[in-house]
Amino acid sequence: MKKHTNLNIKSCFAAAVMASMLFTASCKKGFLDVPPQGQQPAIEFWKTQDDATKAVNSIYANLRSWNNVAFNAIAIESTGSDEAEKGSTPTDATFFNAFENFTATSQEGSVQDFWSGQYQNINLCNKVLDNIPAITMDEALKARYIAEAKFVRAYSYFRLVRAYGNVVLRLASPKDNTEYNLPQSDKATVYAQIEKDLTEAAEVLPQSYGAQDVGRATKGAAIGLHAKVALYQKKWADVLSLTNTIMGMGYDLFPDYEKLFRVENENSVESLFEVQAALVAGNPDASNSQYSQVQGVAGIMGWGFNTPSAALEAAFETDDPRKQATILFKGEETPQGDLIPTTVPNERYNQKSYVPFNTRVSGFNEGAQQNFRVLRFADILLMNAEAANELGNSTQALTSLNRVRARARGGNANILPDVTVTDQTALRNAVYKERQVELAMENDRYFDVIRQGRGLEVFGPKGWKANKNEVWPIPAKEIDQSGGLLVQNPGYAN
Amino acid sequence: MKRIFTKFSVLAFLCFLFTNVAFAQNVTIKGKVTDGGDNTPIPSVSIRVKGTTTGAQTDANGNYSISAAANATLVFTYIGYTTQEIPANNRTTINVALASSAQNLEQVVVVGYGTQRKLDVTGAVASVKGEDIGKQASQNAVSALQGKVAGVSIANSGTPGASPTITIRGTGTIYGNTAVLYVVDGVWYDDINFLNPADIANISILKDASAQSIYGIRAANGVVLVTTNRGKKGDPVINYNGSVGFQKVTNAVEMANATEYATAVNESYAILGQAPLFANTNLGKGTDWYDVILRDAMVTNHQLSVSGGAEKSTYNLSLGYLDQDGIVKRNNYKRYTARLSHDFQIFEPLKIGYNVTGTSSKSKDAPSSIFRALYAASPVIPVFKEDGSYGDPNDFSLGNGSNVNPQATLDFWNQTTSKYNFTGNIYAELKFLKNFTFKTSIGGDMGQEEVLGYIPVYRASASQLSTNSQLDVDRIETRNWIIENTLTFDKKWDDHSLTVLAGQTAQRRKSYTINAQTRDVPFTTDGDLYLKLGNASKSTITDLGSLATFASYFGRVNYSFKNRYLLNASIRRDGASQFFGGGNLWGNFPSVGAGWVISNEDFMKDQKIFSNLKLRGSWGKVGNANVPLNPTTRVIDQSAGLIAIIGGLPQTGANERTIVPPSLVWEKSTGTDIGLEMGFMDNRLSVEADYFSRKTEDAIFEIPVFGSLGTANSVILANQADIKNSGFELAATWSDQTESGFKYSISGNIGINNNKVLNVSSGSNPIDKGGATITSGYLSTRTVINRPIGNFFGYEVEGIYQTDAEALPFNKKAGDFKYRDLNGDGVVSPADRTFLGNPNPKYTYGINTNFAYKNFDLTIDIQGVADVDVFNANLSNRFGNENFTKDFFNNRWTGAGTSNSYPSANLAGNMNNAPNSFYIESGSYVRLRNMQLGYTLPTAITSKWKMQRLRVFANAQNAINLFGYKGFSPEVGGAPTNAGVDGNVYPLYATYNLGVNLTF
Repeated sequence: MKKHTNLNIKSCFAAAVMASMLFTASCKKGFLDVPPQGQQPAIEFWKTQDDATKAVNSIYANLRSWNNVAFNAIAIESTGSDEAEKGSTPTDATFFNAFENFTATSQEGSVQDFWSGQYQNINLCNKVLDNIPAITMDEALKARYIAEAKFVRAYSYFRLVRAYGNVVLRLASPKDNTEYNLPQSDKATVYAQIEKDLTEAAEVLPQSYGAQDVGRATKGAAIGLHAKVALYQKKWADVLSLTNTIMGMGYDLFPDYEKLFRVENENSVESLFEVQAALVAGNPDASNSQYSQVQGVAGIMGWGFNTPSAALEAAFETDDPRKQATILFKGEETPQGDLIPTTVPNERYNQKSYVPFNTRVSGFNEGAQQNFRVLRFADILLMNAEAANELGNSTQALTSLNRVRARARGGNANILPDVTVTDQTALRNAVYKERQVELAMENDRYFDVIRQGRGLEVFGPKGWKANKNEVWPIPAKEIDQSGGLLVQNPGYAN
Repeated sequence: MKRIFTKFSVLAFLCFLFTNVAFAQNVTIKGKVTDGGDNTPIPSVSIRVKGTTTGAQTDANGNYSISAAANATLVFTYIGYTTQEIPANNRTTINVALASSAQNLEQVVVVGYGTQRKLDVTGAVASVKGEDIGKQASQNAVSALQGKVAGVSIANSGTPGASPTITIRGTGTIYGNTAVLYVVDGVWYDDINFLNPADIANISILKDASAQSIYGIRAANGVVLVTTNRGKKGDPVINYNGSVGFQKVTNAVEMANATEYATAVNESYAILGQAPLFANTNLGKGTDWYDVILRDAMVTNHQLSVSGGAEKSTYNLSLGYLDQDGIVKRNNYKRYTARLSHDFQIFEPLKIGYNVTGTSSKSKDAPSSIFRALYAASPVIPVFKEDGSYGDPNDFSLGNGSNVNPQATLDFWNQTTSKYNFTGNIYAELKFLKNFTFKTSIGGDMGQEEVLGYIPVYRASASQLSTNSQLDVDRIETRNWIIENTLTFDKKWDDHSLTVLAGQTAQRRKSYTINAQTRDVPFTTDGDLYLKLGNASKSTITDLGSLATFASYFGRVNYSFKNRYLLNASIRRDGASQFFGGGNLWGNFPSVGAGWVISNEDFMKDQKIFSNLKLRGSWGKVGNANVPLNPTTRVIDQSAGLIAIIGGLPQTGANERTIVPPSLVWEKSTGTDIGLEMGFMDNRLSVEADYFSRKTEDAIFEIPVFGSLGTANSVILANQADIKNSGFELAATWSDQTESGFKYSISGNIGINNNKVLNVSSGSNPIDKGGATITSGYLSTRTVINRPIGNFFGYEVEGIYQTDAEALPFNKKAGDFKYRDLNGDGVVSPADRTFLGNPNPKYTYGINTNFAYKNFDLTIDIQGVADVDVFNANLSNRFGNENFTKDFFNNRWTGAGTSNSYPSANLAGNMNNAPNSFYIESGSYVRLRNMQLGYTLPTAITSKWKMQRLRVFANAQNAINLFGYKGFSPEVGGAPTNAGVDGNVYPLYATYNLGVNLTF
């Protein structure tokens, strides 16, 4: 028994020592101080030039996101027009019909997601604009980065303002939750901010980049977009002077209209701005553009949505080569040698987003490599023509307009004769017509017609109503959350 | 019965007095231990000479022999039976009939950090014996609990190797993981699928907050304590259990055949103003894809254990092997388990021991999308064409919804998942100064999961092809450890009994995942499946990880007076690393419970109604640290989607695209429980009733924020809501035996739960979630104040528009759903949506029976849920020309007057696929969960074969399922706010087994 008692004492002592050791171990300062794993805390970011570069890169990357180039962009910017139809099989993604026949409500997913998608770009830009100024780095590069962010912010606000009218204008990321709920700004204020950003961007951005920086916003992109923004506000003198500036910057029309839209001719002499995409070998997540996939030939190169309409097919003048270059017909053989089977569910597909079948790599989105053309020189020429005509200068208008037609002709003197009318109305209509065929299936037509004031005339038969359908509804969830601070567009229910 | 107890206590008391002074010559005492109920011998009963370390064990026939002083007291212990102490009083033969503890109050239940007499428990704790778990065909112990415990709801997944979802007393959290905490022999786990059900001795389910709160940090979703088998002193006992059987799909949904499909597709095209897709709809039956891809699947199970022990050490070794085919062809799951436990009484006051479990499993996985593919695949597609190539959906212009040949999906799918798990703990327990016990335990859990997938180059059709071979390798490792130290003071004096516990724990949980992928890997043998054999320029590698640490202190006092008045109180203080930086690192979790054993009162002595009557009440607070890690830290997103293409090359992009709450506090839940335990007719009938109410405060989850903030997901995480679960539970057992030896027990249990959201920080703004992708892009649930979490939300179907004229004003067509204009504004708009159903089951119940007569035994378990709804999203989840169910085809609207409940074949159009009341169906079911008939061969025969026991049995699980739901299984499960949305569940199947239990 004695022995046991000794043992007891010894064991107790041992246990107590052990216990206290363990207690100490677990209470050691920092045991509960665990940093996030595999995620860089934001307070460690925004320190170096490299951080600034990465942050600016992210802005460009997001421009190819689903919300920016796929279903939601199509629903908001294309489906309502007379040039495009829903596509795919009749029973597939029928929500598009609400955009086709103008019954879309504020609850439609695409109404919300296109909105959110643009603000996602804007948030990335605002973070750059908020944080880069304090970074110690090459000042010239810093200024350029700021200008690049302003360009993309302006581009995103332009897409927002023409889609929704009065939108929330966020020019910095919120400091705390008191800055979450902001009221809308009227269209004029939003346009003024867009023009301010573009003016400031154009002052800094270079006219061109070395090969390693191709794809970044240029001076031409900023001025060209500014011209388009002015066009939507009928500031004809601005449009004319801005487009004249561009026309003196070395841009030109790419000789072959069909080839202009192929991957190998991306960022050509005609290009002012393109959303860059690529098929990054081994990295499907970085090859995430679905721009081409959602419009690709159904079952072979994609899903077959946003198909050219019969009305578009009929809009081309006789033998206009742009018809064959814009529309992939069921049963046709493409210049790249692909045969479109006769069993596909649609008569026509968008050829401007077309990528040859043999480029498909399984595990990747079909056509992940296709850039989304935002602004090209042909558009600049047509804006120049329109503004010149509005300002009474039909000579310059005809020169610019016919330059576009001449390229489309592709050397065939028997087609697409030069336009010669000088009557302001007739010439205006000729420019409108040229825009329809030259820029077909490039997400331009729908808002272009509305801007021309012809919404009822052109889309009325599809159900478009004046004083309502000039814009889409503000997303219901945004209004709900604002507690009534946000105001719905006329004609729409919350 | 009561009188017997009194006698026992007096005897026990006497021997307690005598043993200390006893000193006498040793004699050999022999005897037989039998079940007090049916007089069957009980093997492996532990017999100890009180006050010494001498022990023995009964053999298979219940016989024992032990050397003890003539005036010694023998202590007989066996799980599930009341411990008896019997003074030898110079006898050399002592036969003992042990009372099954199910029938009395002396039953010991496992509670947090210890055991308690059932009598002393003041909270709601349910126990399930290992043998009840072992008697099921379930390969996962949790699955075997279904229907056994009131208030515990279990949804099985069906996938071989996958764990079921368990919900204890309703859903109390929204965002966080709803997984309960499993504590296996003192080590904490999120999942116990590494455990062979046959290794389990006992499962305790801590249902109320006072019982749970000692596990504060992780207890909010409930705690399941698992005790595994350990060795007992005596000769080695060898057990073999084996079974073989098959699994067969039950309650399959019949799909439209080719002719019916073509008819319906043409109808939908006509409605949309399109030319018919099929010129000829007379296409016969076509392909039944379920028939092509599913099969009757074999399952084999072997389990071998050896246990025993010498004077100062005991051991238990168990090996298990499971080979289960999935009902999808080629799907197979194999699991090997080994468990070893060893306990040593080194010196009288010091005991040490360890147990280790190694589990290895290998699954040839079923293609992840196969069930959706089977549902959607068109029956007009042949499996193979006449030329032997795969049937091609593109030949039929079917478009996106139905462009897959499931046979090709299956044939070119090659993925294996191997899991290795090594876990265990080592402990030392020291008794000192008479009343103190110090215990220290270190546990660890090492897990490794390896997923290897290979896609060869193939071309089944233009839409199903692989242009490059692809190799995917995933490695997921978990490394967790836990250290626990507890000090217990235990003292009984006069009428008082006091136990005081103080403890401390520290734990660390780490997981790390690495995924790598490459292309152009040649394949001739498995030896080629290496990343380095791929194309280096097409390889990617990425990883992610998580790390959390916890530090905790706790204490508890249990006091009882005269076995009548009970008081328990505990407190736990937890620190969790995920709250670091938010300033709310620590949380305090107290509890208190009291009980009154009325039947032990003097004034109850003469009454005859109650053999037991106890009233108990408790209150406690628990926490839920099962929330995202570091939620208040702003982090940088550097995902692949932010890689810019500049100069034609990928350039790393990074930016901030989330908003975080400024601070976050612990999600806490406070619960009250009032229980009444009653025994009648000598406890042949026992009844336990509980009322409970549990309120979750500051529930952490995401709520939507303005899209105009431009964050990646338009959500913010914060303490957003208060949720209440309240209800009633009733469990009753009747057990008896007739004079002829027919022994039976019938138990029933029912749990009633009401789930209600009390408050959300978004105020009157609803939280819309649920479905989305599988509910045609619409959100299908809404969580608002005064309603359950995740109510189904959508339009109310009033009928079907019979004519275009009637439908046109609403932008609809004949055959479309006619939604009720609830706000009466003349148009149907989203403002007309309403609450359509509740995915949280109100009633869960089970009936469990055991019958034994002579050598036969029969177990029948019935289980069900009632008053619950399911969203049949498979019906409406359409991208085009998916197949239809036969039920839909037969009942669809085809013209005025044909149907006022089923719409036309244009199911995906005109908002017919928006969430609406048509898709909400009752999820109630009742099933014959388990049925087992066993026959134990007479000892006369088995002893000749040198066996102690041989039992053969036949078992059926899920043999009969009754439900009205039109999908495959109403057992849908799902995370809160997304629960009950049936996108694609594993078809229900029944398992039929034949097996043996053998003891040497």
